[in-house]
Amino acid sequence: MQRAAAAPHVVWAVLFIIAPLLFVVYYAFTDKNGSFTFSNIGAIFQASYLEVFLRSLCFAFLATVICLIIAYPIAYFMAKAKPKTQKVLIMLVMLPQWLNFLIRTYSWMALLEDTGIINSVLMGIFGLEIPPLHMINTSGAVILGMVYNYLPYMIIPLHSVISKIDPKLLEAAADLGCSPLRVLTKVVFPLSMSDIVSGVTMVFVPSISTFYISQKLGGGNFDLIGDTIERQFQTAYDYNLGAAMSFVLMLIILVSMAIMNRYAGEDDGGVVV
Amino acid sequence: MKKRTIFGNIYIILAFIFLYMPIAVLILFSFNSSNSTSNFEGFSFKWYGELFSDAATLDALKNTLLLAILSSLIATVIGTMAAYGIHKMRNKHLKSSIMSVTKIPMINPEIVVGISMMLLFVFVGGILGSKSYLGFGTVLIAHVTFNLPYVILSVLPKFKQMDKSLPEAAQDLGCTPLQSFFKVELPAILPGVVSGLIMAFTLSLDDFVISYFTIGSGFETLPIRIYSMTKKRVTPDMYALSTLIFVSILVLLLLSNLTSDKSREKMSKKAKKITKIVVGTAFGVIGIITVIVLIVSAGTKTLTLNVYNWGEYISDGGEGTLDVNRAFEEYYEEKYFLETGERVNVSVNYTTYASNEDLYAKLKSGATGYDIIIPSDYMIQRLKSENLLQKLDLNKIPNYANIKEQFRNPFYDNGEEKYTAMYTYGVIGIIYNSKKLHPDDLAKIEAGEAGWELLWDEKYKGQILQFNNPRDAFGTAMYALGIDVNNATEEDWKKAQEYLKEQKPLVQSYVMDEIFNKMEGGEATLAAYYAGDCLCMIGNNEDLGFYYPRKNGEVVTNIFADAMCIPSSAENVDLAHEYINFMLSEEAAVANAEYIYYASPNKAVIENEGYQINMGKYEIEYKLDENGEEVPKLDEDDCYIPVLDENGEMIIDEEGDYFVIYDDVLEDNLEDMFNTYAYRDLEDESRATLNQKWEELKVDSQSFGGGIYIFCAVILVALIAFGVYCYIIKRKRRRLYWNTQK
Repeated sequence: MQRAAAAPHVVWAVLFIIAPLLFVVYYAFTDKNGSFTFSNIGAIFQASYLEVFLRSLCFAFLATVICLIIAYPIAYFMAKAKPKTQKVLIMLVMLPQWLNFLIRTYSWMALLEDTGIINSVLMGIFGLEIPPLHMINTSGAVILGMVYNYLPYMIIPLHSVISKIDPKLLEAAADLGCSPLRVLTKVVFPLSMSDIVSGVTMVFVPSISTFYISQKLGGGNFDLIGDTIERQFQTAYDYNLGAAMSFVLMLIILVSMAIMNRYAGEDDGGVVV
Repeated sequence: MKKRTIFGNIYIILAFIFLYMPIAVLILFSFNSSNSTSNFEGFSFKWYGELFSDAATLDALKNTLLLAILSSLIATVIGTMAAYGIHKMRNKHLKSSIMSVTKIPMINPEIVVGISMMLLFVFVGGILGSKSYLGFGTVLIAHVTFNLPYVILSVLPKFKQMDKSLPEAAQDLGCTPLQSFFKVELPAILPGVVSGLIMAFTLSLDDFVISYFTIGSGFETLPIRIYSMTKKRVTPDMYALSTLIFVSILVLLLLSNLTSDKSREKMSKKAKKITKIVVGTAFGVIGIITVIVLIVSAGTKTLTLNVYNWGEYISDGGEGTLDVNRAFEEYYEEKYFLETGERVNVSVNYTTYASNEDLYAKLKSGATGYDIIIPSDYMIQRLKSENLLQKLDLNKIPNYANIKEQFRNPFYDNGEEKYTAMYTYGVIGIIYNSKKLHPDDLAKIEAGEAGWELLWDEKYKGQILQFNNPRDAFGTAMYALGIDVNNATEEDWKKAQEYLKEQKPLVQSYVMDEIFNKMEGGEATLAAYYAGDCLCMIGNNEDLGFYYPRKNGEVVTNIFADAMCIPSSAENVDLAHEYINFMLSEEAAVANAEYIYYASPNKAVIENEGYQINMGKYEIEYKLDENGEEVPKLDEDDCYIPVLDENGEMIIDEEGDYFVIYDDVLEDNLEDMFNTYAYRDLEDESRATLNQKWEELKVDSQSFGGGIYIFCAVILVALIAFGVYCYIIKRKRRRLYWNTQK
């Protein structure tokens, strides 16, 4: 009887979680008249779309790696601070997320443009002669946008696990003759592996599917999967192709998450040694 | 040891500089005295003032809050019940399968969640045959859906932590399960419920992607409004709003942080109870206000008119101009009162699109309910042929007489029955930054010899902007190549595409209204765009100039007309007629024409003295004839577009004003121009070809080196090698361990 309390949620989930996904599959495998076809999926395997997928994978991968490299030391140093400072720091990491991501990305444009703020500052320092540093509309700018927007999602899980590591373990390692670097690689790193995976997921998934960042910071020159899907729905009015792309995107994410979880699972064993 | 903390501190400071740099920019520019978001010209509070008079933004803010409150409350109720039910479940398989389904919206990319819901709504809406099915209801459903997993996941652990014997004890003591839930379990899980509620609220507040795909007409949330603004230009009042939000959240978080640490421990039970009551009443009050707002808005008679227009295409009240939409509201409220003696509340819901294709996709997706749309010629043909427009009742539009005779029978609407009332017309020209252009090219422009080829000039690599919509982008190539834009063969499309691919490495970015910022800020040198908008940009930056591209001495470019139409799915047809009538009136039409700088087909505008003075026509209107007498140069059937000197360049005086007059290039040929160079609706087949070629062009990237792939591959290989290495070491150690055990 009490279990029936879950009923509204179950109904809701069937109607608005499962049914929509079935519609994605339905549209992906039908044409405009509703008859079954593989041509949408086939269209994705044209050279040009394959490149879009490859590019998205690549950008998202790089963004994730960079996030990890930047976030790990932040999380590590934050965990070393006093508890009260830690609280404030976490708050400060999350605070930018309260502002709309569109507007944050937009203000990066003002920073990166050839006549933008960074170049004006550089000119102020080095004189007017130097040519402006060309940053916007490059692949680097797109990756920067991803890193900027999703960095907090990497910092928070990493910090929470590192701060929970028993300091006695670190002391023990040091007493047994580990250098601080070895403490980091042999103790801290393996112990935080599981949360590295959750951080990686939280950065990778939105990065690979983003559609706004590349339009603004890449000037429309670096079409990503998200942009292509968005265009099918909002401009080209080709739902079937768009659904097929979303379907493939879901598959890519499922596969990469499976790989990551497996990778992490293996390393969990390493902690024992 | 000390060195390390210093290093750590520096690292953290650098990280925070990175995180806060764009926010600092945003706060700084909210105090800018000009409307630029990239050049700081002086300190002022004016945008904070503008913010509170920007009704559309405040409306969007209200909508966002309403949506966030409703969706988080619904999600909290359903989610808490679900967590209770799941907790009580004994069948493990059922439990875990429900949990994995629940988590789908968290794991799935937002865009997939968004489009999957959109497909559901579109499909079901199509079956039900409903006219407009995307709207507040669909966004609300979508928000509840992605909020649910967060609520459940924050409540469920609290159930698990709770002592199981507590509810049992309560029931032994005679509580019904329902009573025990409210008396025992609910207080225990309350922290989880509250944190779930807050999380759902913030997620819903910030969501853009999912709303973007499931939203309909007449309902705009703040993120959606920001998005449509970033497609043209973000006014600093949006920065002002963001600054206010940022500061208030900062203060709230600081307060909660300061109070939580010490005082919470010291707090007596009584104080805790009081806090609970305060928090409870706060939520209660918010809930009650929401309900009241809903009831009140349902109670008074409100007529809402949903207008869907191009960006930057109406006089919006900025910088002392007339706010046409507000003026219409007042006008109609008064008129209604005079006619019926009753009060009515009129509200114009104004949203924008960036291209005809966007408009079409939106209309087809079922986000109908628009009462007024303003598409261009070829799109009107297409909408008409698909029966998406309805006939205008000209009796209800007396001001239709203001439209000049020659504009009443355009090719897209030349039957007996009228579907459209022309809003503006114009041509596509090329805007350039004279400071950055090579002197030779400048001379060429001045000599009236420049054509489209400048947009393909290697010299301007990375300085060229191209249209971000298929029809106009292909148009530039086709005019340049001398291909007929309306009767292109497969071969022709291919040629145009090749030409555009050639241009792609030179193109800085593909833009629509983003061009305003980029040209005015000096980011780009050359671009093709609509003449009226070009004039608008020139008004803001004197370095900019404008010319009509020529081929063999003749102007070869697109001419277009945009017209007001009523979609067949409109809900407020009478009010829509009133709106069109108002837009054709002298007051509104002049304000619009002066604001958007497009040529007006409206007699009342052209004859308006203020307009003539403002547009610089006044000086030129009277010319001396051979006898030295002043004679009006223009007669009634003239049309007005920028004045060109003998070289085809626009005349601009020292103050940066430009003249709009009768132009001899277009005067005689207006009819011909429309016949030759206006876009016509394409056959299905051609349209498919165009879309496909455009897709290919967009996803193709020659400007993108292979370096990044190699880099990726190297990192990937390194990671795999590291993984393998770890695995080998582990096996070795394990063997060693077993050996020692033996």
